[in-house]
Amino acid sequence: MKRVVSPCNTTGPYFPREFSDGNEDLTRRDGATARGEHIILAGRVLELEAKPTWNMVLEIWQADANGVYRHPLDPRSAEVDPGFWNWGRARTNQDGWYRFRTVLPGGNLRIPHINCAVLGIGLTRRLVTTIFFAGNMGAAPDPVLDCVVDPELRRRLIARRDPSLDADGAAGYGFDVILRGEGETPFFVD
Amino acid sequence: MKSYEYSPYDDRTQTLRQIDKYNASFRRVPASPLIPRPITLSESTGPVELPRRWNAGKLDLSRVAENGPRAVGQLIRVSGRVTDEDGSPAAGVVMEIWQANAAGKYVHAMDDHAAPLDPNFIGQGRLVTDEDGRYEAFTIKPGAYPVLYSGWWWRPPHIHFSILGLSWMNRFITQIFFPGEPLNETDLLLNGVPSGSLGNDVRERLIFEHGDTVMGDLSYINFRRDFVLRGHRRTPELA
Ligand SMILES: [Fe+3]
Repeated sequence: MKRVVSPCNTTGPYFPREFSDGNEDLTRRDGATARGEHIILAGRVLELEAKPTWNMVLEIWQADANGVYRHPLDPRSAEVDPGFWNWGRARTNQDGWYRFRTVLPGGNLRIPHINCAVLGIGLTRRLVTTIFFAGNMGAAPDPVLDCVVDPELRRRLIARRDPSLDADGAAGYGFDVILRGEGETPFFVD
Repeated sequence: MKSYEYSPYDDRTQTLRQIDKYNASFRRVPASPLIPRPITLSESTGPVELPRRWNAGKLDLSRVAENGPRAVGQLIRVSGRVTDEDGSPAAGVVMEIWQANAAGKYVHAMDDHAAPLDPNFIGQGRLVTDEDGRYEAFTIKPGAYPVLYSGWWWRPPHIHFSILGLSWMNRFITQIFFPGEPLNETDLLLNGVPSGSLGNDVRERLIFEHGDTVMGDLSYINFRRDFVLRGHRRTPELA
């Protein structure tokens, strides 16, 4: 008989900072450096009335620069970049800012994208969205992006090149997560 | 490697997204409906290598150093088993645990509660489930604490659990409460679980079972809680 899934609940305000710190950088693994174009993915997580959040937790999961996941379900997993972690976690500071260092993902039968989850106070369940990249949208359809019909909402899922975020040779991309209110980020059924 | 199918969470089994008087939920839960989407390789894969990244292993939160003095409070052991919806073990996955000390104080910059810290208690750590999906950790029973920012209420003793899961889709976070605590009756987050017969079962599953008491060189009380992660095995395709 199928078992009933356990109930989720909020992280509350005190998710340990130590659980995030050090996981914002996906580009260094076992002394190797990730292949591909290094980028900074940064932005603010805002609540109603564009107020910044503090200690909201963002988790990301993405393919490496060649579109490979380090996971047994990916038939190409043996080719995965040894210098890259496909997973990362960051938290917002007092001004609502989060910041990852990662690589521009490869495609793997989809438009290049990063899965993103938001956890923290006020959220009894995580919120999930998908981040795409301006200049990397390709021509192919994407089964997830295609679910977002309104062009304005689609725009909100695209990280924009922002040179003010450049750091250490990595190109900056800005992506604000607006949890609620004007300009609300589209989130998917989880 | 097993392949899983994922259905959206059944709301009857889950805590409400917006809870009356839990003000932060009305400022942070999106007003627009969530958008249905298909599950591709991207979502059905996930971070299976985290135990190695973090070098996580056994966990004893009840003291800072091995053989060091124990933290103030009642020594307890929390344990249980993590499975998927089919009952097969979630083996080798990282579990993160965090909690307040016996006085109800977290080691955290955001905790303004005027309760003392305990030099022998950090209150957070990671472990990895064994091949049968089992976990165990020694810790001390946390104290209650007041919520100072979102309405005002006292949180009953609880322990936060985060399970990284077998894929992006069955990442799991919750908090587990202690049986028989008077403050359980008034806690917004515990009572944010829907009521009704299924709802009552759900609420039970956010509460530890009181296990046996252990007497010996190390004396402690057992508390048990199993977790079921979303995802059931895909029916094998016929040739
Ligand atoms: Fe708590």
